[in-house]
Amino acid sequence: MSSLNSSSSTMGNKPTNCLDSHQQQLEDDDEETISDSFICCVCLDLLYKPIVLECGHVSCFWCVHKSMDAIHESHCPICRHPYHYFPTICEMLHFLLLKMYPLAYKRREEQILEEEKANGCFSPQLDSKEFYSSDGSRPSAVSDLASLSGIASAGKHSSKMDSNGSSASKENDLSAVNINRTYERVSSNDVLCPSCKLLLFRPAVLNCGHVYCEACIVIPEDGIIICKVCEYPHPSDRPNVCLDFNNFLEERFRKEYAAQRESVEQKQERFHHKNPSSCSGSKKSAKKVCCRPTRHGEESKPTENEHKPKVHAGAGCDYCGMYPIVGDRYQCQDCVEVMGFDLCGDCYNTRSKRPGRFNQQHTSDHRFELVKPRALPSNVMLRIVGGYLVDNSGAPVLAISAMEDPPDGWIAVESLEARQNLFNNVADLDGNPGDIMHDNGDSPDGSVEIEFSDAVEVSGHHDDDNVDQYGGEDPPF
Amino acid sequence: MMNSSGGGGGRMPTSTATSSSTTSRSSWRSTSVSGSGKRIQKELKDLDSQPPPLSSAGPIADNLYHWLATFIGPTGTPYEGGIFFLHILFPVDYPFKPPKVVFKTRIYHCNVDSSGNLNLDILKDGWSPALTISKLLLAIRSMFFTPNLHPYNAVPSIAHLYQVDRKTHNELAAEWTFRFAK
Repeated sequence: MSSLNSSSSTMGNKPTNCLDSHQQQLEDDDEETISDSFICCVCLDLLYKPIVLECGHVSCFWCVHKSMDAIHESHCPICRHPYHYFPTICEMLHFLLLKMYPLAYKRREEQILEEEKANGCFSPQLDSKEFYSSDGSRPSAVSDLASLSGIASAGKHSSKMDSNGSSASKENDLSAVNINRTYERVSSNDVLCPSCKLLLFRPAVLNCGHVYCEACIVIPEDGIIICKVCEYPHPSDRPNVCLDFNNFLEERFRKEYAAQRESVEQKQERFHHKNPSSCSGSKKSAKKVCCRPTRHGEESKPTENEHKPKVHAGAGCDYCGMYPIVGDRYQCQDCVEVMGFDLCGDCYNTRSKRPGRFNQQHTSDHRFELVKPRALPSNVMLRIVGGYLVDNSGAPVLAISAMEDPPDGWIAVESLEARQNLFNNVADLDGNPGDIMHDNGDSPDGSVEIEFSDAVEVSGHHDDDNVDQYGGEDPPF
Repeated sequence: MMNSSGGGGGRMPTSTATSSSTTSRSSWRSTSVSGSGKRIQKELKDLDSQPPPLSSAGPIADNLYHWLATFIGPTGTPYEGGIFFLHILFPVDYPFKPPKVVFKTRIYHCNVDSSGNLNLDILKDGWSPALTISKLLLAIRSMFFTPNLHPYNAVPSIAHLYQVDRKTHNELAAEWTFRFAK
């Protein structure tokens, strides 16, 4: 409580932009008590540009992207549910979070933008107009920074008043009140199902990021779910309900939600009596369906099938999101962005006109080239380094130190990024990242490098003789 | 602390930027260092507010990427009464790659090899970016009760002894605890 008062008093004197980011964060946390449902499990911060995986778990755009495996199938960080397609940002959740936590969300936006600028790769810019177009009467869209900061300062002002008024209440009460207050910023118009136009009931998110009631997602006869909003084919089975979102809806709209539950239950009862395929009507663009190696993932472990060279490690399809691309890969020759723009064979043939997933300025007149999987130096190196690793754990140090200053040839041509990938991949394959990760080439500072090289020496001593010796009866002194 | 992680964040992107200009724009793969520092700081904060039972962890000196953890051997195990020190080394792409854990105190345990490297499923293929150091500490704590057997036993002979002759195993473990961890 005291911290809240003191922070509000400093705010009265100083303009907000004088505060450094850390202080800013503290204040945000005080004023906007963020519900645990909206904390990303990977970065442990407020979700930013949330992505809902098909298992229903939510994470930030970059957190999902970085968690994905460049050469294998990826797994949900929470439940390890396997997936192969990088989903699109869930715009509904994005704008909800923006409404509920304007301050913290703005802080996240700035923070991520800084990282993106440093890396030269950008996440998609979400246009608020699309979201708000259904209801023109809504107050101003809060996507751009200018209007957002206006709202943010208004929010600060009001919460300052409130905190003074309720100074007697306990901190727990305050946070509960705060959560309620932030939840109230969301109206039921923000969370409508595009199919039934009612409040979402048990929301599930398709790979394209559009949210439907679980019951409104109807699987047509050909088994391919197609989004009614963007006509994008969902590449896997029925997505699970996003429970975090569901809990929020249940808490925020108790009455409406209960009513929805009743009506859905009634509908389901009637449904059993009637023709079960009555409300589908969404098969119009079934021919667009593409790039589904298999629905049940037999083929989705690229290293285990015979078409191993067809896996384009580290490259994803910007239309369907397949990552890594398995099969043909077409690379745009005209996109200048660091990320590049790639399509898988099927998406290339359907000529989709979606923008890139990383805000690439791709247009339909760009030229494409069929790219062979880089017979990756990494494939060669995997074998070599892998061999060393099997022989003796001291050897990778040699192998890596040889890599440190490449004599000549391909490693110099390969980007540093590819080297990084290479090492990541080696680590993945050998299941033994510990010995290698210290030489990724970059450490946060010098002292880490020193510490890591210590670790190398230690692991260098480890060989079979030692193991036997320690496995023996007496501990050595 | 802040500066060191920030400096790392600055260095990494420049290298990626230069590489991108020389080579084909090719992949979806990107790297960022500053995220790991932020996440580690958050975990540190959470550990401070909710310390795990009978253990502690925190950075050594000013290096956010190098922690020291301390364990008290749980009662009812052969490690009872011992105090074990561990180093936790974070990779730059933490939490997308697992940390490395090294026992600095000698311990007779089939998941800890002769140089102290800890071999656990969640530190290998079982790692997930949603795991945190406090969950890792819990896993290590449960390892004192039940070792992580095949294929993660770093020392097969100890694992074998554990399976066929638990009594001798426990006596040896207790003896090592007495000699090295007290």
